[in-house]
Amino acid sequence: MTTPPRLGHANLGLGVGLRAAHFDHILRHQPAVDWFEVISENFVDSGGRPRHVLRQIAERYPVVMHGVSLSIGSTDPLDFSYLGKLKTLAREVDARWISDHLCWTGVLGSNTHDLLPVPFTEATLAHVAARVRTVQDFLERPLVLENPSSYVTFAHSTMSEWEFVSRLAEAADCGLLLDVNNVYVSSFNHDLDPDEFIRSLPHHRIVQFHLAGHADYVTHLIDTHDHHVVDPVWELYRTAHQLTGGVSTLLEWDARIPPFPVVHAEVLKAKRFMGERLPAPPPLTGIAPATTPPAAATTSRTPPQVPHPLHHLRPEVA
Amino acid sequence: MSRGPSRRSGLRDVPVPVPVRTGTGTGPALPRPPLDVVQQWFQAVVTHPAGVAAGAASPAAQRLVRLDRGALEQLVRRSRRLTAEQRLEIYANAYYARLLECLRDTFPVLAQVLGAEVFDSFAFDYLQRYPSRSYTLYRLAESFPRFLDETRPEQPRAADSTAAAGPAWPDFLIDLATLELAIAEVFDGPGAEGEPLLAPADLLARRAGGDFAKARLAPVPCLRLLRFGYPVNAFYSSARAMRSRQPVESPEILDAHAAPEPASADGAAAADLPIPDPGEEHVALSRTDYVVRRYSLTPFESAVLAALVAGATVGDAIAGAAAASELPDDELAAQLDAAFRRWTIAGFFRAATS
Repeated sequence: MTTPPRLGHANLGLGVGLRAAHFDHILRHQPAVDWFEVISENFVDSGGRPRHVLRQIAERYPVVMHGVSLSIGSTDPLDFSYLGKLKTLAREVDARWISDHLCWTGVLGSNTHDLLPVPFTEATLAHVAARVRTVQDFLERPLVLENPSSYVTFAHSTMSEWEFVSRLAEAADCGLLLDVNNVYVSSFNHDLDPDEFIRSLPHHRIVQFHLAGHADYVTHLIDTHDHHVVDPVWELYRTAHQLTGGVSTLLEWDARIPPFPVVHAEVLKAKRFMGERLPAPPPLTGIAPATTPPAAATTSRTPPQVPHPLHHLRPEVA
Repeated sequence: MSRGPSRRSGLRDVPVPVPVRTGTGTGPALPRPPLDVVQQWFQAVVTHPAGVAAGAASPAAQRLVRLDRGALEQLVRRSRRLTAEQRLEIYANAYYARLLECLRDTFPVLAQVLGAEVFDSFAFDYLQRYPSRSYTLYRLAESFPRFLDETRPEQPRAADSTAAAGPAWPDFLIDLATLELAIAEVFDGPGAEGEPLLAPADLLARRAGGDFAKARLAPVPCLRLLRFGYPVNAFYSSARAMRSRQPVESPEILDAHAAPEPASADGAAAADLPIPDPGEEHVALSRTDYVVRRYSLTPFESAVLAALVAGATVGDAIAGAAAASELPDDELAAQLDAAFRRWTIAGFFRAATS
């Protein structure tokens, strides 16, 4: 194996997704967070406070850029104007890496602003791998791709998601952002085994983990990023940590955002699952998706919530 | 659905419909639809305003994949708990929920005035006519005031119109939407924070030097001049003040993306604010310390500023505005002294060049 672990990237430690609700707290208190991940689209066009805040944060903390608009799986042409803005911002804030999702967001020029699923076929694999290579050539750095939460699978898929992800990473020589919560959400929604998912990936290509909370609708889970991480996801994280040897870990909290110390404390829980003497990972069948809601999850009776991340900030006006 | 794939040109040829077997069987889909066809079909289905079943039956979707209702599972698998249609509805619901949330964020006062249900109805229709075509959600709302204008009723509602020949209630809504859109654009657009600006002392020096009339003042890029037929800026202030007096229902919710508060909270506040009578209002928006500031202008001040922004010298801007004003010269002179001082304190200009 010639690919170095994490594609050679450092393990940045335990980070938090930068959100506007926490701008003032972070600037004022400069909390002891290892690193921040930013939603690229909140900053690439900003001429105002968001970019001003990011510049200050980037002077003090490592920053990673995480996008939602690359649409790497779309059959529309790549948006090189957008890619150029990513490249400019990455240079400006010394982004350690640039990530986005294995998904598409729209076709025929439209944008749904959602992370839509692709069928896992040979044709899709060839299409996406070619686009990843093009993007990497343009950005002059490896791309890091995340497994999104998904709510449908296609009847004509010919391989599992983990096989698709693994083969894509090798074919395009890109990195992976393993969203552990998304593995749990998608596995529940598609009647799959999340442990098998995680064990089947090329672990040396995993550059980063995501953790987040989700909403439980009993019949399905939605990746709302509006709650604490549930225990089964922490158990998956334990496995992922052991299999990778530890990579940069990031907590996302995008709706009903609590005060910053609460968010920070949530990601620090990861330390409990990454000690030197790790217990043996649970058996394959030990953490299969439950048919009853985990106690800590949000069991919602409200209308459908919005899967996150969502890149839109409210203006500040006097 | 208002946008059919065949209307697009230049991206790729109109795809040939893929005959996924009709009927209600649950066997594998044969042949496998190409990726572009699957994506166009998926988008047509989950963005259809009447839901997934109607979307799948729509001409746009049928043109791509001929699929009888009930045969969705030939393309999308069911899970143990949900049918294919129910699973697709998750995306369909999220599509509108996400974009409506963004529009409410951009037009918070308009949403208060209309109430959640009516605002969402407008926004829902807007998304049919102006679906997002940008990588960024920050451009999602840019055509909303135009949409309100394009879809305004032919005749003003008699009960809501205060003057038969004057502006009607749609003008108020359009003006309010225009103001809120401008605020959002100024907030995150280019600004002049950290740059040297024309200070009141510079102004006095230029005036003392006798060359002020020949000066051209360079506006900061965040300066926006707006003219309305209703006093929406004053209304905006009142609505925000009223909202700030509302009890905080969920103190743990600090999210900039939080779902809108129930209509009973914001809606009640807006209901207490009557739509104002028509009346011309001039407003300048600018930004200092990354916060949008709103400034009321007299018609004369607005005319002077507009001429300055267009590149006129100070002398020409004042002369032109004065010629169009009915106010006496001493009154205009008094306005000017105070106005230039306010504008420099507010940082409207970068520098003065002769």
